[in-house]
Amino acid sequence: MAGLATTFGSGAMTNAINEIEDAEVILVIGSNTTEAHPQIARRMLDAVDKGAKLIVIDPRRTRLAECATLHLALKSGTDIPLLNAMMRVILDESLADHLFIDMRTENFAALRAMLYRLDLAEVEKITGVPLSDIRRAAQFYARARRAVICYCLGITQHICGTANVQSIANLAMLTGHVEKEFTGVDPLRGQNNVQGACDMGALPNMFPSYQAVDNGDYREKFERVWQTRLPATPGLSLLDMTHGGPGGPIRAMFVMGENPLRSDPSLTKVEETLAGLEFLAVSDLFLTETAALAHVVFPAASFAEKSGTFTNTERRVQLVRQAIPPLGDCRTDADIIIALSNRMGYAMAYESTAEIMEEIALLAPIYAGIRHDRLQNSWGLQWPCWNTTHPGTPFLHKYYFTRGKGHFVPNDHVVPAELPCQDFPFLFNSGRIYHHYHTGTMTRQSALLNRECGEALLLIHPDDAARLKVRTGDRLCMASRRGAVEIKAEITDQVAVGSVYTNFHFGETPINRLTIAAQDPVAQCPEFKVCAVRLEKL
Amino acid sequence: MKDDSMDEPFILAKDHLKSFLRKIKKGHRLVAPVTNQHQDTLFCTINNLDRVPINLVDQAQNGIKSFLFPQQETIATYAVTESGYCFSRTDVHPEPTVYFGVRPCDLMAVLYMDVAFMGGIKDQHYLEKRQDSVLIGLNCNAPFANCFCSATKSGPFLESGFDLMFTDLGDRFLVEVGRPKGRELLHAWPQFFTPAEADDTQAQYQLSLEAMAGFKLDVYADQAMQRLAAGMVPESVWEQLSLRCQDCAGCAYICPTCTCFTIVDRPSGAASGERLRSWDACTFAGFTRLAGGHNPVPHKTHAIQQRFMHKLKYDVDKHGRPSCVGCGRCVGICFGGTDIVRFIKMAGEE
Repeated sequence: MAGLATTFGSGAMTNAINEIEDAEVILVIGSNTTEAHPQIARRMLDAVDKGAKLIVIDPRRTRLAECATLHLALKSGTDIPLLNAMMRVILDESLADHLFIDMRTENFAALRAMLYRLDLAEVEKITGVPLSDIRRAAQFYARARRAVICYCLGITQHICGTANVQSIANLAMLTGHVEKEFTGVDPLRGQNNVQGACDMGALPNMFPSYQAVDNGDYREKFERVWQTRLPATPGLSLLDMTHGGPGGPIRAMFVMGENPLRSDPSLTKVEETLAGLEFLAVSDLFLTETAALAHVVFPAASFAEKSGTFTNTERRVQLVRQAIPPLGDCRTDADIIIALSNRMGYAMAYESTAEIMEEIALLAPIYAGIRHDRLQNSWGLQWPCWNTTHPGTPFLHKYYFTRGKGHFVPNDHVVPAELPCQDFPFLFNSGRIYHHYHTGTMTRQSALLNRECGEALLLIHPDDAARLKVRTGDRLCMASRRGAVEIKAEITDQVAVGSVYTNFHFGETPINRLTIAAQDPVAQCPEFKVCAVRLEKL
Repeated sequence: MKDDSMDEPFILAKDHLKSFLRKIKKGHRLVAPVTNQHQDTLFCTINNLDRVPINLVDQAQNGIKSFLFPQQETIATYAVTESGYCFSRTDVHPEPTVYFGVRPCDLMAVLYMDVAFMGGIKDQHYLEKRQDSVLIGLNCNAPFANCFCSATKSGPFLESGFDLMFTDLGDRFLVEVGRPKGRELLHAWPQFFTPAEADDTQAQYQLSLEAMAGFKLDVYADQAMQRLAAGMVPESVWEQLSLRCQDCAGCAYICPTCTCFTIVDRPSGAASGERLRSWDACTFAGFTRLAGGHNPVPHKTHAIQQRFMHKLKYDVDKHGRPSCVGCGRCVGICFGGTDIVRFIKMAGEE
């Protein structure tokens, strides 16, 4: 988010999902789209059917990579040099859009200077991708009239996540692939409402609609409407909270719909921190590992039991209609917050979620024109929606960037926090699988989904497997400097030699015991995607 | 009216349709396609004829499969006793049901389900729901966007298989009598029906010709079946489609003739629980995976093979006709672009 905010001025998909299928070139980087965003992958495959070229940049040969025109299997954590090399090729072959650069961007000279210092032979060595492939990818992308870049957590979950995103934005601006329909930079957001949560200020430093907490004017506006004093300093980041240790900055915590005891890196540290809290309250649909540790658990209602809105990855605000009344004693998230607030002495009285939407419109300019009655019988509205007659905004940055001029931010290669060494010789990466969602709080309840995939499998290249004398189905002990898990092996050449990969959905195999708590200095997103491990056959 | 004259077609004025359905409702549950407030058209039980608009124009998003073979049903309950598991069968006594407005494809699909569930071993759970049901069809004057029932010979007009069959002639329906249960309905309320004239049957014939010409997709199902029978569909077709299949099973769930199910036990405590059967799909890896992890079907390259082989080859070998009825629903729901129309096209390419 921070990466796009510094370059474009707004951290969200610049396109609508439907536009992807009419792109000429789709560059997918750090996204296992078929498994994590199947509805978006569908548009990519439709585009391929219409003749589009699909370029996939991913250390693994994912299913999407098998459908691609070109797959660049880079080493994990070398996205910046790869993107820089593409940009260098574009400059060398005069494929840059100089008119766009002159009119719409700033700081190009700095980028150019950095690119001319780049040693392409060195890049080939760092990334492990043949220069000829980098050149072809650059040519495909730059020559297309309509080109889209989609990226996901493979880009952001690195210590250089912000710089990765900035490099993607540089590439798009260098070629002018930003301002138009079917053309843009699209971060794919995961949860149905993660975009909405960010929009509503579920960030340590922002009020709703990305209005900074440390800006006095914004703060005053919120204080006037909410009739209370608000803190002037940004809050703590996720890792500051969950890795503070006993006696850390946090004494009590209220966790809603999140399972940090499985989803955060370096779990041993998280366990210590949560166990050391004076008070922990959790609200969730099912009793998660985190909820099991809590002093108070609120049973929460599911999407089918409540009304309100979700904001999806393409900034589309859609109405959710209650289908069944809440089961048993569970209550909706809003209900839980309102009841808590009332008891804690701050009265909240809303007659409906529509009334809450009105307050959002009052305080969040990008939602100013959104009301429940406008969302009835429609496919929703895409923000920014400035007033009640505004039709919403399918693609961003038309004619000008949100921040005025697009800003080039040149970046050099950042070496991951922990690379394989003699003691921990394998590079470990983790991600998601089609049949399960996050820590499996919901999906692991389904017999059918568990039948499809009921345990974590560690993908190992046949050469490594032969050296370790491991066969598919053998049990391994996988250890990093921070912890160890037992896991079953699956031999496949989808991963490169020296790399192993698995999924983090399984409570029985809490692989985040192994991952490192190093984080991006700006976005404070942990580096889930690279750490070093060793394997022993059990 | 004499019995032997009953099998001549009749006319029902559209003005009297609701009155006729109201009479039917006195002795039956009525299921018909209805458009709800979210603009979805679905077959559902009609409690109040005056409240819901029956939609005879659009294609219902569901067929009537789930009424006869629910997505999930309890087939037994169990108690754990000292002597072991003790099962008791769940008895259901479904109401006699009239399904109204069933399109030829969905009607053919029920006939296929009859073969699947009652052809050899009689499936009691299906039988109970099926035996007291009456199927009133509605011929398709204008095929929908993804339809190809002419290619699978299950529409757009049917001549048999129904209890009653309606054809929309503008201000009136031509009503044909198929099976005895349909005849009984007409017998019970003869006041709504008048014998059809030659002009009416001529108008129906004309409409059927126009409908045959109205298909928007060219689907050469015969050719695909011949090439499957001759083993001429190359491996690369399965591989390409399996790679793109997104594993969602939407095709099987929406398909009016997919009848595979799985059985799971859901404990309600340590000592008791229920045995459920729910829809399953051959495109899932877990459908064929064995204990120990081996899968006789290489999922990555052949996940989709069983589906099309079953529809277009195995059932042709067994019953002489494909079990795809050309309703086109899977074409609309598939997000990988691996639907049966795509397969038929790829199978036909040299």
